[in-house]
Amino acid sequence: MGIHFRQVSHQYFSQQNSDYQAIYDITLSIEDQHEFICLIGHTGSGKSTLAQHMNALVFPTKGTVEIAGVLVSQKRDKKTDYNRLRKHVGLVFQFPEYQLFEETVEKDIMFGPLNFKVSPEVAKEKALESIRLVGLNESYLNRNPFNLSGGEKKRVSIAGILAMDPEILVLDEPTSGLDPQGKRQLMRLFKDIQEKTNKTVVIITHDMDLVYEYATRTLVLSDGNLVFDGTPDDLFRREELATWSLSLPQTIRVLKGLKEQFHLELNPYQKTVEEAVREIEKVTSR
Amino acid sequence: MKNIVIGQFVPGSGFFYKLDPRTKIMAIIVLMVSLFLLKTMTQLLVALAIAVILLLIGKLSIVRIVKGLKPIFVLLIFTFFFQIFFNKTGALWLDQTMSLNWLSAGAIVLATVLWRVLARWKVGGILPFLIYLGLLYVSLSYLSYGSTWTSFQFQIYEKGVEMSVFVVIRLLIIITLSTVLTLTTKPTDLTMGMEKLLRPLKFIGINSEEFALIISISLRYIPTILDEANKIMLAQASRGADFSQGKLKEKVKQVISLLVPMFIIAFKRSEELADAMESRNFVPGKPRSRIYDLVFGMNDIVAFVISAGLLAAAITIQVI
Repeated sequence: MGIHFRQVSHQYFSQQNSDYQAIYDITLSIEDQHEFICLIGHTGSGKSTLAQHMNALVFPTKGTVEIAGVLVSQKRDKKTDYNRLRKHVGLVFQFPEYQLFEETVEKDIMFGPLNFKVSPEVAKEKALESIRLVGLNESYLNRNPFNLSGGEKKRVSIAGILAMDPEILVLDEPTSGLDPQGKRQLMRLFKDIQEKTNKTVVIITHDMDLVYEYATRTLVLSDGNLVFDGTPDDLFRREELATWSLSLPQTIRVLKGLKEQFHLELNPYQKTVEEAVREIEKVTSR
Repeated sequence: MKNIVIGQFVPGSGFFYKLDPRTKIMAIIVLMVSLFLLKTMTQLLVALAIAVILLLIGKLSIVRIVKGLKPIFVLLIFTFFFQIFFNKTGALWLDQTMSLNWLSAGAIVLATVLWRVLARWKVGGILPFLIYLGLLYVSLSYLSYGSTWTSFQFQIYEKGVEMSVFVVIRLLIIITLSTVLTLTTKPTDLTMGMEKLLRPLKFIGINSEEFALIISISLRYIPTILDEANKIMLAQASRGADFSQGKLKEKVKQVISLLVPMFIIAFKRSEELADAMESRNFVPGKPRSRIYDLVFGMNDIVAFVISAGLLAAAITIQVI
């Protein structure tokens, strides 16, 4: 089970401009459980295209993707039930405006489950459950999704996917456009979901602090190539970071600066601000 | 949707790219008027030859234009048969009694199935369709078994055939000409040309500048909205709204899930665009200067002379 990419390339065809290759020859495996993966890379590096392969929204132009035991190749196969794959892997798009359409939040969240032939009663329960999961209370269920703030819309769109009960949750830049507090809340929420249900979560993000703090595994795309697949601890010790257009998280940057400036004997690789403070205290109290 | 060539600009270089859009619009109107003055087949064939020569001068690929004709192929076929069936003048060429009965009806059903299967497998392009027409003809005229339901006379007249070929060729030339215009002119240049040409209408209260602005904004946003529609479709598909599966009731719901976000995004976009234009001091109705102004050149004079000459020739032929 899980998702297995085997030498997947994807090319966009266009009449006026020359064809554009988004990802090249990508081979990787994502398990159904226990993983918290951050997918990072500069804009236009192919992250979204890769994510859209994960639930068969787009088909590879070369290679194959195996999702939950079903092989997806270049052409649409009439025998394959693609909806099943989309239930298995829930994909949340970057902009909630692309999916909200119902009059009430509740109906909108129920849209996914109802498409997967869940009974209306169960779908209603799921809606209540998932709106609480994303940190909104049930009073939101009867509100109009178009009158919500940007952050609330985002949460509702995530609830809409959570209600489908996917085995793997893929989120395309869920934290973009949110304030720092909201970002942390959402990341904690994803971590919570992952720890409680053991489901794998894949997140596309540009925020290195969040990557370092939360991810158990990172995938780095650069110009459509998968250039790194490993733990964030390994990643931020790599020399090539700048060539991949990535930067260090704040904690490492500050601690490294202190270390060089004052020649302190500290370990700059601390994941959270609290840990960083503790490390500084440890060194200075000596 | 990706293969529509009509109405699409393709960057390139050549004689037509260098022409002023005003010249092109006027020349095409003049050429079309001359085309409708022509009365006989020989004259039309000459016009077709001229159209081909125009394509060669402009270094435009004929293959490309023929490909672009595909979407209107049905229209051409329809026009062709309409003329053949309903134009009943001239000498009678073919008079065939046709009857619909058990056997011929069965044969028609079989032929239809055969045609669809062949078309599904994409065998031989238009060949299956022609075979289908042949089978239809044979089964209607020669097969008879049991009681006849209805029968009718299938007649083809000399003028009918001539007119059908005539009309189809004329349509082909018209489409080729207009494709040349849109293929070689940027939408912005096209609207600017229209604006300048329609300027005299100001005296009867039509503001050509606003009109042109509306057109150029709509043209500009067609690709953007298509792109957005595609993204919305993917987002809803990832929530299980597979647009190629499901019953009618589900389909309706799926279409709504596509339309509502599209309208909302389009309205939002238009408001943002209005704000952006206003913040750059755009005031509707106020005169505006341009960075690039249209200038007539030597090429334009040549094009004018040629098209006027062709019109004159067409008129002279009709008078003589």
